[in-house]
Amino acid sequence: MLSASLVLFGLTLGLKDNPLVPIGPGFYPRIVLGVTAALSLWLVVADAAGRRSRKPAPAPDHNYLLVGLMFLLFGLYCGALAFLGYRLSTVLYVAAANALLDPPRGARGWGRVALVAVLTAFLTHLVFERYLTVLLPRGTWTGF
Amino acid sequence: MFELLGAGLANIVQAKYLVPLFIGTLVGVVGGALPGITITMTVIVVLPFTFGLEPLQGLAAMIGVYVGGETGGLITSCLLGIPGKPSAVATTFDGFPMAKAGEPGRALWLGVWASIFGGLLGAVFLVASTGPLATLALAFGPWEYFSLFILALSMVAGLVESSLVKGLLSGAIGCVVTILGNDPVMGKERLTLGIKFLEGGIPFLPVLIGVFAFAQIMSEVQRMGGGRKALQAVDRGLSLAVSHLRVMWEILSRPVLLLWSTFIGLVIGVLPAIGGSAANMLAYDQAKKFSSRPEKFGTGIPEGIIASEASNNANVAGSLVTIMAFGIPGDAVTAVMLGALTIHGIQSGPLFISQNATLAYGMFAAYIVAHAVALAILLPGVRWMLRIVDIPKAILFPVVVVLCVIGAYALNNTVDNVYVLLVFGVFGYAMVKFGFPLAPFILGVILGDQIEINLIRAVMSDSDPWLFLTRPISGGLLLASVLSFAAALWQHRRVQNRTAAAQGDADF
Repeated sequence: MLSASLVLFGLTLGLKDNPLVPIGPGFYPRIVLGVTAALSLWLVVADAAGRRSRKPAPAPDHNYLLVGLMFLLFGLYCGALAFLGYRLSTVLYVAAANALLDPPRGARGWGRVALVAVLTAFLTHLVFERYLTVLLPRGTWTGF
Repeated sequence: MFELLGAGLANIVQAKYLVPLFIGTLVGVVGGALPGITITMTVIVVLPFTFGLEPLQGLAAMIGVYVGGETGGLITSCLLGIPGKPSAVATTFDGFPMAKAGEPGRALWLGVWASIFGGLLGAVFLVASTGPLATLALAFGPWEYFSLFILALSMVAGLVESSLVKGLLSGAIGCVVTILGNDPVMGKERLTLGIKFLEGGIPFLPVLIGVFAFAQIMSEVQRMGGGRKALQAVDRGLSLAVSHLRVMWEILSRPVLLLWSTFIGLVIGVLPAIGGSAANMLAYDQAKKFSSRPEKFGTGIPEGIIASEASNNANVAGSLVTIMAFGIPGDAVTAVMLGALTIHGIQSGPLFISQNATLAYGMFAAYIVAHAVALAILLPGVRWMLRIVDIPKAILFPVVVVLCVIGAYALNNTVDNVYVLLVFGVFGYAMVKFGFPLAPFILGVILGDQIEINLIRAVMSDSDPWLFLTRPISGGLLLASVLSFAAALWQHRRVQNRTAAAQGDADF
């Protein structure tokens, strides 16, 4: 955060003032980024000072791999929307996410995954496109 | 005022408004009852459904979610010992022991009726105070608005329990989001980093949806896979039937407790971005401090349930006052409502109530009627709600994510908003993992533009910077910011010293 705010602060120095406005477009960003950089620095120093005296906390039993895979899946879904369209990418995403969170056992489990995925895509598409006149993404590859 | 409220009530009971209000309240009750699904997430899910509706229909649905969620959250608190939402945590302290002691119906209905009474008392404040506060805000110039927004940010950042610096930094990062893109006064391009999409700035709704929804979903996902079994501590076969008159009398025979808890809920609601989670804990704490039998708290006494539930429903009214009078969201749910208003081209703030009287009084009416609707849903359906709690999260979460995507995409039909959702989803989860509070960040995102606009307007009107301090209201608000910051600093020091002393004791 410290480095990001410093880089952005540097970029604001290149912004030219407007003769119509007494303070230019870089004035407020400089204040905000200056405050952000100062607070980040404060946090870094406080953290470094506290680390010496602090005992390491026991690592919580969290499934970060699952979180990472869920984010990856969501990233792929976002990317697929433009190419595959809403319906197909939603079916694939819901099926994959459901299977990832609760791995199906046997044909019945896979049937449940497929049913949830198809129903989600179909019902949301029906409600939003038909009744709420919200146009959902079309795929450039699929055309629907 | 009464004529307008009467017209609002007559309006809202028409089928075209009552149906969205009913559906919103039902969804809110279910969302509130589901542990791991907050009201914010529920209102985010409902948001895309409101795009195709009239403003009052959409807002009625959202108000229904808000009221229904606050009421529904107590079901699992009382019957399963798991708070359905953070604002029902204190309900668990006495609701669950009472239910376990063989009185689940009494615990549940004490909570429901306390919610209804607290909410309706809050409605009196909402209707009576929004207009006068908006009139007061009309006297504000850019100096006062700037100072008011600074006060809102400093208060929220200061109320963060874990780290004051992280609270302040979180608010500052929120403001950084608003400086990317064209400057709001002259429209000059700045800090776009060569990304064309950033020229128009980052839309705040995908940021809000991404940060809140993903922070919560992923925080639940990280705990999944451990094979934990659901708690079912209270026998689901037990009768929930009670004498409603007796339960109501139990609440109304404690008028001071009811009024004080409602007052706490309202005050916390009016303060920006704090929310019901603080209100219910504070009300519970106050009820315990003023009780003649504080040692009984936590063993299943009605006072604990009444205090918690009356305050969290009154909190909704307080939050609505802030957004309708000042245009500042009282919490994350009203931040989403602010987005919904913007989508419909309605400007919230002091002029809102005078320029959109029908809509404003329709919202008041929706808030009042939502309590009756919540009661009508819970009376026959409370046992059925317990079955909904069994919906697997493996099904629920992907569906919620899909609705978040629709909500972000449908804002202006661009996939770019979905990418914003992804980026801020990751960012929100990272913030939570590193102990950064989300509320100041969101307030920074919402108020950042307004702070800049009012700062520049003030300087353009009169370049004397001392006016921020010498104008009485502006100076008073800035002084309040400094005092709020100093109080937060003092509070943090005290907590740190206490923690250090406790650690010292433990070592020896």
